[in-house]
Amino acid sequence: MPETIITSDRASVDLDACYNPSTGVLDRRIFTDRLVYEEELERIFGRGWNFICHESQIPDTGNFFVSFIGEDEVIAVRDRAGKVNVLLNSCPHRGNTVCRAELGTTKSFMCSYHGWNFDLDGSLLAVPNEEAFYKGGLDKKDWGLESAANVESYKGFYFATLDPDAPPLIEYLGWVGKLSIDMMLVDGPIQFLDGIHKNRLKCNWKFAVDNLYDWYHVKVTHGTAFKVGLVTEEAMAPNDQMVILGEYGHGIGGPGLTLEQQAEFDRRQASGEGESQWYDIQAGHRTDAATREMLGPVGHRSFGHPNIFPNLWVTHTRQMCLRIPRGPFETEIWWFNYLPVGLPDAQSKQSIYSHNHVFGPAGFLEQDDGENWSHSTRGAKGTRSKNRPLNFSMGLGHDTVSTDPSGQSGIETVVNEHGQRWTYQCWKEWMQADSWQTLKENHSKPPQGSV
Amino acid sequence: MSRFPQLTVQERLHLTFEAQEFLYREAELLDDRRLDDWLGLLTEDIHYWMPIRRTTQAKEVHLEFTKLGGMAYFDDDLSTLTLRVKRLSVGRAWAEDPPSRTRHLISNVRVSDVDVDEITVMCNFQLYRTRLNSEEDSWIGRREDVLRRVDGELKLAKRHIFLEQTVILSQNLSSIF
Repeated sequence: MPETIITSDRASVDLDACYNPSTGVLDRRIFTDRLVYEEELERIFGRGWNFICHESQIPDTGNFFVSFIGEDEVIAVRDRAGKVNVLLNSCPHRGNTVCRAELGTTKSFMCSYHGWNFDLDGSLLAVPNEEAFYKGGLDKKDWGLESAANVESYKGFYFATLDPDAPPLIEYLGWVGKLSIDMMLVDGPIQFLDGIHKNRLKCNWKFAVDNLYDWYHVKVTHGTAFKVGLVTEEAMAPNDQMVILGEYGHGIGGPGLTLEQQAEFDRRQASGEGESQWYDIQAGHRTDAATREMLGPVGHRSFGHPNIFPNLWVTHTRQMCLRIPRGPFETEIWWFNYLPVGLPDAQSKQSIYSHNHVFGPAGFLEQDDGENWSHSTRGAKGTRSKNRPLNFSMGLGHDTVSTDPSGQSGIETVVNEHGQRWTYQCWKEWMQADSWQTLKENHSKPPQGSV
Repeated sequence: MSRFPQLTVQERLHLTFEAQEFLYREAELLDDRRLDDWLGLLTEDIHYWMPIRRTTQAKEVHLEFTKLGGMAYFDDDLSTLTLRVKRLSVGRAWAEDPPSRTRHLISNVRVSDVDVDEITVMCNFQLYRTRLNSEEDSWIGRREDVLRRVDGELKLAKRHIFLEQTVILSQNLSSIF
């Protein structure tokens, strides 16, 4: 039986009752309870497929990039056979990190404590004074760096899982996770850029994830961006929205073209009438048949924000963002940036300007987000305030999932909270399942019909 | 072409004093929230840049900072800096509403190069910020500034900021360095 109640000295959270999908009411103690957090590390980050890096970040033998699966630091490194390994950055002798740099190139990883030296595939190469001190009693093949249980790439995006029972990456992603990555490839193969914006927020990681589906906050939180003319209000927060929900908690929420808007866009393209609507710039990347085929009939009309569960946000600004937990009250925000291979210089320059000025800690949009999420977290700590549940009811019961003959489905509506509700519903199922087997059997399928 | 080595001690003293006066006055405007006046100290072609810094192996310190033209925390020209200032006055600039309290401490000022109308000035800085009731941030780093004489007045033509942090430990970078 799955455990249903997590208790601590400060609070007890009834996982079964903490979220009610029929009302959209959520117990806010899930943002602050330490035991909930520790279970998240085990059951969500420790079990799911976590994005680690893109192949272009470590193209050559010995290139490495350090990332995190929950609070486990891992090294992604390309070995001499060209394979990408994901290794726990912890020496099995005393636990010290074997790699202190965040990126670079190396021939091996030598622990700075006693000099145990590990190959690029994690195997233990050499131990100082092995013969004299261990006298033949150390079997080196048992004492390599621990590898992730599985490492797989989807179109150059490397993910790793610590759970040997996890389904293959492609099954985990499902059509929604794959669509999320395919959306990054609408201009062809990509190259990640050197330099990741990293900063720390005093918020629970789920408030950051929750926000990526939130097109309600844009005009209020980010009002200055259109007031100073950086972007138009209509382009930033159009009322036409589409939500796509996928198994295991993946989702895409945000702007979407109706069939009529798509037809009008196609007509203007064919007649050369040029841009006249908010969606023209983005839809302009999806005019060829191959791209539309890749994204599918519903997917190619979506310009929303995907989240690959649990914590990888994809944007349409050639960026993606990891939200890495650092305890219940702190989250590290990492912005990865990429460009299509062979993009002309002027367009690259324009894209990099956008990378550097929209998101990130100094970004015109994102600098205003942090205190909201931090204070939401703070608001879940108070003895009284933590007992007051949060409202995620927007749009509940007012919308319908329509399924295309291709099998792709979406909710075409206005600003809503379907994505957030789906996230918490799936989060609850992940937390209640005691194994991948249970999760496979007990997780919700994306809704059909009325939502 | 640098004329710096040929300068007398008196000339160097004079230039350093002039640069210090400029930097202290500028810091005062920033800390007094007189940002429109601060914009008036910038040249038309100002380049305001803070690269991303990384932790690297000692043998790969050349990778420590991202390069010009690439990813950066700041890579601003005059129009972008003007937008940063303007956004504070239009309402809903929440990162600065309520306004932060800042104090720029400028030290180790030394003139490193002199051209016909430009002075390159290196300095160390601490930018101390508090927000709301108990938020506290402290950023320490060094700057490479170029001051240019325009119509007899010094103006800031370049500011490259090298912060002593890799992961930025604050919730945002909404202050001017």
